[in-house]
Amino acid sequence: MTQAPETVFGDDIVAKAQELKGRYPESRSALLPMLHLVQSVQGYVSREGIAFCAEQLGLTEAEVSAVATFYTMYKRRPCGEHLVSVCTNTLCAAMGGDAIYKKLSEHLGVGHEETAGEPGEPGSITLEHAECLAACDLAPVIQVNYEYFDKQTVESAVELVDKLRNGERPKPTRGAELTDFKTAELQLAGFFPEDEERFAADVDGPSAAEETLRGAALAQERGWIAPPMPEEGSRG
Amino acid sequence: MTLAHQKPSETAQTEVPEGHVRLTIDGQEVIAPKGELVIRTAERMGIVIPRFCDHPLLDPAGACRQCLVEVSMGGRPMPKPQASCTITVADGMEVKTQLTSPVADKAQKGVMELLLINHPLDCPICDKGGECPLQNQAMAHGRTDSRFVDRKRTFPKPLKISTQILLDRERCVLCQRCTRFSQQIAGDPFIDLLERGAQQQIGTSETAELEKSASHTPDGTPFQSYFSGNTIQICPVGALTSAQYRFRSRPFDLVSSPSVCEHCSSGCAERTDFRRGRIMRKLAGDDPDVNEEWICDKGRFAFRYTTARDRIRKPLVRGEDGELHEASWPEAMRLAAEALLKARDGKGIGVLTGGRLTLEDAYAYQKFARVAARTNDIDFRARAHSAEELQFLAAQVAGTTPEHVSFASLEKAPIVLCVAFEPEDEAPIVFLRLRKAARKMGTRVAFVGQWTTSSVRKTSGELLACEPGGEAAALDGIAEHAKDIVEALSAEGAVILVGERAATMPGLFAAVQRLAERTGARVAWIPRRAGERGALDAGAVPTLLPGGAPVTDAGARAALEKLWRLPEGSLPAEPGRDTAGILAAAAAGELDALVVGGVDPDDLPDPRAAREALDKVGFVLSLEMRPSAVTERADVVLPIAPTAEKAGTFRNWEGRDRPFEVTLQNTGAVPDCRVLDTLAVEMDVDLFTQTPKAARADFVRAANSVTRPAATPVEAAPEAEQAKAETNGHVKLSTWRQLIDNGSLQVEEPHLAGTARPAVLRLNEATAQRHGIVPGEPATIRTERGELSFPAEIADLPDDVVWVPSRSPVGVYEALGVGHGGLVQLSAGTAAGAESAEGPAGETGGAA
Amino acid sequence: MGMLDPIKGFGVTFSTMFKKVVTEEYPEVFYPTAPRYHGRHQLNRHPDGLEKCVGCELCAWACPADAIFVEGADNTEEERYSPGERYGKNYQINYLRCIGCGLCIEACPTRSLTMLNFYELADDDRQKLIYTKEDLLAPLLPGMEAPPHPMRLGDDEQDYYVRGPELARQAGQDRQSSEVSAQ
Repeated sequence: MTQAPETVFGDDIVAKAQELKGRYPESRSALLPMLHLVQSVQGYVSREGIAFCAEQLGLTEAEVSAVATFYTMYKRRPCGEHLVSVCTNTLCAAMGGDAIYKKLSEHLGVGHEETAGEPGEPGSITLEHAECLAACDLAPVIQVNYEYFDKQTVESAVELVDKLRNGERPKPTRGAELTDFKTAELQLAGFFPEDEERFAADVDGPSAAEETLRGAALAQERGWIAPPMPEEGSRG
Repeated sequence: MTLAHQKPSETAQTEVPEGHVRLTIDGQEVIAPKGELVIRTAERMGIVIPRFCDHPLLDPAGACRQCLVEVSMGGRPMPKPQASCTITVADGMEVKTQLTSPVADKAQKGVMELLLINHPLDCPICDKGGECPLQNQAMAHGRTDSRFVDRKRTFPKPLKISTQILLDRERCVLCQRCTRFSQQIAGDPFIDLLERGAQQQIGTSETAELEKSASHTPDGTPFQSYFSGNTIQICPVGALTSAQYRFRSRPFDLVSSPSVCEHCSSGCAERTDFRRGRIMRKLAGDDPDVNEEWICDKGRFAFRYTTARDRIRKPLVRGEDGELHEASWPEAMRLAAEALLKARDGKGIGVLTGGRLTLEDAYAYQKFARVAARTNDIDFRARAHSAEELQFLAAQVAGTTPEHVSFASLEKAPIVLCVAFEPEDEAPIVFLRLRKAARKMGTRVAFVGQWTTSSVRKTSGELLACEPGGEAAALDGIAEHAKDIVEALSAEGAVILVGERAATMPGLFAAVQRLAERTGARVAWIPRRAGERGALDAGAVPTLLPGGAPVTDAGARAALEKLWRLPEGSLPAEPGRDTAGILAAAAAGELDALVVGGVDPDDLPDPRAAREALDKVGFVLSLEMRPSAVTERADVVLPIAPTAEKAGTFRNWEGRDRPFEVTLQNTGAVPDCRVLDTLAVEMDVDLFTQTPKAARADFVRAANSVTRPAATPVEAAPEAEQAKAETNGHVKLSTWRQLIDNGSLQVEEPHLAGTARPAVLRLNEATAQRHGIVPGEPATIRTERGELSFPAEIADLPDDVVWVPSRSPVGVYEALGVGHGGLVQLSAGTAAGAESAEGPAGETGGAA
Repeated sequence: MGMLDPIKGFGVTFSTMFKKVVTEEYPEVFYPTAPRYHGRHQLNRHPDGLEKCVGCELCAWACPADAIFVEGADNTEEERYSPGERYGKNYQINYLRCIGCGLCIEACPTRSLTMLNFYELADDDRQKLIYTKEDLLAPLLPGMEAPPHPMRLGDDEQDYYVRGPELARQAGQDRQSSEVSAQ
């Protein structure tokens, strides 16, 4: 067993890990949030982080590595203060996502999952092109630490990252206030402020924009309805 | 395409038995038990469906998709071909394999083409080439040319995932047999699928592409499993290969011969492959009653001792100059016979046989002792032993058969209680069965031991922790502190397993027997060495004749005298001395000669005294394969054949005979029984053990001619003084041998040695703190005799107890003079000096 | 028997004197074989001298006369005989058994094994007719270096195999140019 994890992860993190473990009937289920927890400490999933999860959950490091190497949200190299994800799936790409990604990449001088600036330092930014961010109606979208910046243009995206580099925290289009990557990771691990107001502020946000409901509104206006489902057994 | 089979079948009238279903495969009706996989039903009918990931002893995975068949239920076809290795039979199911369905055939061909897309086709340099299921399948069903024109996915190759196992990810077809084996069967999930997706690959935590960091110690967890070799055997491609067999030969070079493992007492079926008189590799044989299809890495990889450069191939005689010189057989025999005759007519001869003999050889040794040397001073127990153990063996173990306790009854048992027995280290295949029983049958496995070892963890076991040496008390008090276990033990089929370590604890065998009597549980004894059980039944002990009758039984002696055509009353009637007694007598000058076969003094509780006895005794005859501490002191050394070069039988712990034939013919090596027979002839005595076959026939007659008395209760030995002694700052030592260490049959196996578990000193946190020991830092245990240092590791041992491996590589007995249950001083830091362990301690050595 | 019969006999002798001689003055005159004659085997080398044989035993497998014995072994970074992981450690052809069929040549996946036109394979000692690797290896040409040595022509075996013909051409040119410059 490696002894390193204890030196990196303090008692508070061990306590949090134990709490996570207690949330599930099968302790192994706590692995996904625990990997987020590990990222909230180091800004990425390190070998120590993997050893830590393995030890906490009674798994082998190979089993934890198997999970950590599958999901793109577990970063295997140290990340910057902010993680900027540009959606480059079909709709966003067509609406300008590709151009935004290209421009940001040039502007920051980094490629996919690379960090501009010293990782972890204020103003450092990790860029990634992301798969669908589930906001096609507001395409093209960018996420900073998983908070939405909708309907972006090349110019607004450059402006956004410049602000981030200057240490500013621009307000996301919707949802909670912008923090930094590690703080967001702690929330993803399932730890929120106990203060109810702050908790609400952290997670609340409008769920439907005008664009989201535009199709439904049109359909209602024109009296469109879906065709009836065929009756059971009448197929084939 | 016609859908349903309209032919009115005769079998339609036959009754479908309870729990069975009727289905059609390739137009043939068949009745199969519910829950059977279609691929197995087809196999029983002689219809072979190609497959890679399917393995009858692993849970279905449906990973490779090679076994696709067309299935329709009640005349309604399923929309897509189904994997026959994951779909179970159902009533009215109609299955069409590649033989009758163009759809299934095309699907299988398509899968084959996909599997080959990224396969490097480097068969010429691949160890699997020539016996590769993928190669065979591709030759039989694959396309002759590839339509794939792009760049193949490549990986650096090969990766060493342990010193023995090499991983070539390019060749892998991701069938997950290795990961499933490691996870399900061995319980060592140190390999897993990484990078799921386009770059999907097998790997360990070490091979995972993660940021390198300075604080990480690279010794994490490589593929360190005692069973890792099985993954090589079940790999359907050449993705996993062993460093040992790498590039050594091709299947067509090899002659395969069924054999039996010579290492532990499980008696696994093996297949030994040799090329031009040299063993190239060993594979697990298929014996559902014993090892199923698995063997441990020691059984698989430890065989090159037979070709060790220092192997003794000619008799050696100590000359005037005090050195051993090669001699002819007749000369060596004559010298040995003369010396032994003189000793026999003088103060007598003692015979020490070691635990690695075949049943036939052990029988020959005891007959040699009783007939040629006219003594009962014979003992096979080349390890810590006790009179209580011998009583227990005579009463509970000798003569039992697999009907008493077997591998199968471990699976059926409601509970198995392991006492002083660490299955993974001492009998790995017993461990696999216990794990299987726990996983599949819900068997409870409980351990009376010191800490939650890997055996406890991987069998979902319960630990009844006690101090080393406190096992007997723990068993006696079990009704108070573990009432549920007593209840479970009282149920039908419950089993208690006792290991060889029990002999070091006074009163434990008696306690085991009392517990068994109280609860009705069956007791089995699982020694660590392959020959011990056979030696017991053959009578290579001071108190028992072949067949388990006591030597004090005049009737049995008379029957044997008649059978062996000896004068009446010529067999010695007094029980002989045990190993310790023989050595003490030899040291005290009460014996004139010792006949020693395969004993390593370091295994004995007092190695120094043993060496001293060998030094002092007038004449030592050693029957050995390689130079040892005994041959160093022997006057005549007679070379004997290793297992691969002789025939014989190992009687495994169940009492099951595991006969094997000669693997390497005509090497000129002779088995012990033949050497002893010839030697006896020189002494003017006939043993009739010229060949293993003759020895066996003689043994069977002898065993049948005596009757084994009813079991007698075991008397507890008086408790050793030290158990009551004041501990004053000392800690108690718990120890046993790990599976892979520096045993004499593991020489010249560097790749295997690299997979040994690291030697560490385990203790609990409180004890560590009290002694100022930091985990990972060295800690030292010492006695008056010497000291040993190990890196410390925290485990859940009782307070003031430490655990260390018995060989590391220095033997605990050798270095400290105490064993399991002994008292040692504990301190932080390394040993004071490497020399001091040998220096002053050596003088106090003889005292113990 | 007529009177002229003896002269007739000389006539045959006389006429033969003007025909082409079929007798070969072997061994004084070494007559060349057809270019594709199956003579002695040769184990070829890569342009840098590394062996092409990977010890795969396919030749031994293909051999209908069981005349070939091969044992593979590991290349290490310190001791490299061929590009890649594996090389032929032991290589023997028993010319008492070899029937010259050439199936081994067809089987060889690396074109290591080829046949020369050399046909003087006779001896009075059976032992001498078992040719070992040393006997069979191609001679070192200029620019070649006797193994073991590291790979000189690329980073891995792919470079040797994929760029094989190109490397061979290049090696030939280098040799020519070095010969030119030497002059």
